Amino acid sequence: MFDMGAKPAPLVEARGLARNFPGRQGLLGRVRDVWAVRDVTLALAPGETVGVVGESGCGKSTLGRMMMGLDRPTEGSVSFDGRDLAALSAAERRKLSRRMQMVFQDPFGSLDPRRSIGAQITDGLRIHRLVPPGEIEAELFRLLDQVGLPRSAASRRPHAFSGGQRQRIAVARALSTRPDFIVADEPVSALDVSIQAQVVNLLMDLRRDLDLAMLFISHDLHVVRHLCTRIVVMYLGRVVEEGPAERVFATPAHPYTRALLTATPSLKPRPTGGAPRILPGELPSPANPPSGCPFRTRCPLAEAACAEAVPAARRIEPGWQAACIKAAPEAVA
Amino acid sequence: MSRSTRKLLLPGGIVLALVTVLLLAPLLPLHDVRAMDIPNRFAGPSAAHWLGQDEFGRDVLARLIWGGRASLFIAVGSALAAATIGTLLGLLGGYFRGVVEVLTVRAAEVLLCLPPLLLALLVVTILGAGTWPLILALTLLYTPNYARVAYAATLQVRGLDYVTAQRAMGAPPLTILGRTILPNVLPPLLVQMSLVVASAMVIESGLSFLGLGVVPPTPSWGLMIRAARGAMEQAPMLLVWPSLALAGTILTFNLLCDRLQTALDPREVTKGGALWMRRPGRRKTAAARRPGAADDNGPLVEIRNLAISVGRTPQIDLVRRAMLTVMPGETVALVGESGSGKTLTSLALLGLLPDQLRVSAGEMRYRTRDGAVLDLAQLDEEAFRALRGPEVSMVFQDAAAALNPVHRVGDQLAEALRAGGLTGERAVQARVVELLRHVGIPDPERRRRAYPHELSGGQRQRAMIALAVANSPRLLVADEPTTALDPTIQAQILDLFRKLKTDTPDMGLIFVTHDLAVVSELADRVVVMYAGEVVETGPVAEVFARPKHPYTAALIASVPEGAADQLRAIPGSVPPPHDMPPGCRFAPRCDHALPQCTSRVPETSHPEASRSSRCIRWKEVC
Repeated sequence: MFDMGAKPAPLVEARGLARNFPGRQGLLGRVRDVWAVRDVTLALAPGETVGVVGESGCGKSTLGRMMMGLDRPTEGSVSFDGRDLAALSAAERRKLSRRMQMVFQDPFGSLDPRRSIGAQITDGLRIHRLVPPGEIEAELFRLLDQVGLPRSAASRRPHAFSGGQRQRIAVARALSTRPDFIVADEPVSALDVSIQAQVVNLLMDLRRDLDLAMLFISHDLHVVRHLCTRIVVMYLGRVVEEGPAERVFATPAHPYTRALLTATPSLKPRPTGGAPRILPGELPSPANPPSGCPFRTRCPLAEAACAEAVPAARRIEPGWQAACIKAAPEAVA
Repeated sequence: MSRSTRKLLLPGGIVLALVTVLLLAPLLPLHDVRAMDIPNRFAGPSAAHWLGQDEFGRDVLARLIWGGRASLFIAVGSALAAATIGTLLGLLGGYFRGVVEVLTVRAAEVLLCLPPLLLALLVVTILGAGTWPLILALTLLYTPNYARVAYAATLQVRGLDYVTAQRAMGAPPLTILGRTILPNVLPPLLVQMSLVVASAMVIESGLSFLGLGVVPPTPSWGLMIRAARGAMEQAPMLLVWPSLALAGTILTFNLLCDRLQTALDPREVTKGGALWMRRPGRRKTAAARRPGAADDNGPLVEIRNLAISVGRTPQIDLVRRAMLTVMPGETVALVGESGSGKTLTSLALLGLLPDQLRVSAGEMRYRTRDGAVLDLAQLDEEAFRALRGPEVSMVFQDAAAALNPVHRVGDQLAEALRAGGLTGERAVQARVVELLRHVGIPDPERRRRAYPHELSGGQRQRAMIALAVANSPRLLVADEPTTALDPTIQAQILDLFRKLKTDTPDMGLIFVTHDLAVVSELADRVVVMYAGEVVETGPVAEVFARPKHPYTAALIASVPEGAADQLRAIPGSVPPPHDMPPGCRFAPRCDHALPQCTSRVPETSHPEASRSSRCIRWKEVC
């Protein structure tokens, strides 16, 4: 569905990915389909950082979990290095997990409160027998150095660290298995601005030094713009726009991307040309999505044709497409 | 040693003493438990027999201790066995779910359908009386309890990120269960353990009493009670000793269980009690009130040298020397990272500080509608109550938590309006609809009948704002009102605040946030706080264009909005309140710091009339 252009063979590839969480309303209600993710096709090349943005409930975290193989897609498939994750046995899947790692949003929930951080960082080394037992400590120190933590940190438990430090511990843990692919699910959202910058800088350095492919999930457009080479915008479980970060941010082609950019507060005073366009209404319920284009109920450009069918992705440029019948690059005021 | 650990000492000590005595029974100089002395049956306490002699003239103390051994062995033995098996079943069922859950937890639950005493009787009847059948019966009885507790705790823990992280790491399921989940579900199981030991002792005694437990002449508390019952009229004390021992042991174990629960659950329980029961403060309303100043252009609020502290010896200042001025109609943003004291300062303005904290210095002058000047730092709770609503009001970050979930939104609004003095049901309802419409809730006639959970996040925040402005306050304090919202919804709420500003031009707004971009969208002036101190104030555009404090400058540079390749991160983190650096609190993280920064607290400088900076090198910052 999406045209990848002339790129190296993808490391991770999702094809027609969809995830349904059927739910029942009330005690005797009918079981209803609730699609968190629908029809997402996405590929990451080695060394590439792709940002996934969208508001809460748009399915970006579910997408991340499926790309990691932590959640089974209802439809479609994810393949890593050419191998379909669903076809692997549990043991093979565990073996493959060395090459794919995850960094979570909540630095307080993602570390086991009862074990020292040294033990937690080296879990991966032991599980996958990456280094001989005698060299585990040296490797631990190397990892702590890499994320900028003192070596004395190894014997302490998570509660002794601040949010930013914990997030670095989580990054060190993810890096311990020398992965090729990292899913970072809102890794800086829970952090203060000054600490956020520490972690963003760390991720940028790592990407450059280790040639990691990264799926960076965030609702903060500024961070995504700063960090990512490519951006995927999601709305109600579907990808509405995908393209090179700089191009998409400068002249978004989909009206939702434009609205999202306009809504994001900025340090720089806006040119005073009336109040900024503010999107009316709220995200529809995924249990009861609108017909046709999911965005049409809030879209300033919507017309009758939008209700008829889900718009196909329209190619704007090689590697840049938007799922809107009126898609056209347009600068945001 | 923490308070909860100290409280463990009493029951823990008793249990330890008890267990020691029982374990050392063979070494103690006790009489033989079976040595009969018929001539002296029912003899009272004597030097040789401290607690007297029973119906066969046997020593009661020795029998009590040896009987306790039997009871405790059975109780602890069955509790341990049940704990091991039950925990295993619960862990497996809770982690794997599906078929495994049916085979483990659900299967164990079948046992719960049988009356406990009947089940024990059944086992003992089949296997015969004695110690080991009793242990088996009690184990069967308590295994489902453990399985359920372990199952519930596992279900809670398995969804947490650190377990998912282990899965993502490729750890095999049994490793995850043993290394990550088990230690984290242990606390409730330990509590369950002491509960089960106590309860097993009761059942054991009951069965022995019925003659189905320990076989005579082996002593046991249940047997002793049974025997003493027959001789109740000749020697009533014989019944008292084993009953006391049984009741005392069970109460001790229950106490231990309670205290363990508190010790293992570190959540601090706040000081309870109704407001009127608390120790009255030094605050006096009369002293706080001063005649109105003549000039009408004075500030709405003026905070001077405010300090908010916790504890008395040592007193720790969470906020100190805070300065803040709000003119009527002005929007002041209070910006800072977590731990900067921005929320505490705003709570102090409404007298809503948590119980442990107090305003320890400074004044907060507030000019009321009738022109009088009040010092909010001196007000008591009653005076604050009169002020909240018509004078000052607050919008909280989490509207879902701030609205009462069991009352309709419209009813909550109506209650606030009635408290504000509006009378007449029709007028109140009309005003409710008007307010809801004013904050942009569509179809207000219908939506006022909705419960908070029926509204979306954005709608709830709107309802919260309607509640705050219901009585047209002169000062509105908004604490991170858009932080939990999505960008497009945040834009809507910010727009609503803009609308409120134009509709009520005299209302002062204090907007507490950590988001600098939101500040530049909404505020007139900004007050930057760091580690409990105000470091810089001034008009928003000027402060953002030319910051005069290194912290403000670093904060602006750390927002990923420019074209810079590398963001400017501030090294280190905010110091904890009990360990503040001397001198300038930002000095350890500051790249402009000089030796004198750490030795002396910097004075406030005024680069321009409308601006202030608490930095000795403000001239060089930009």
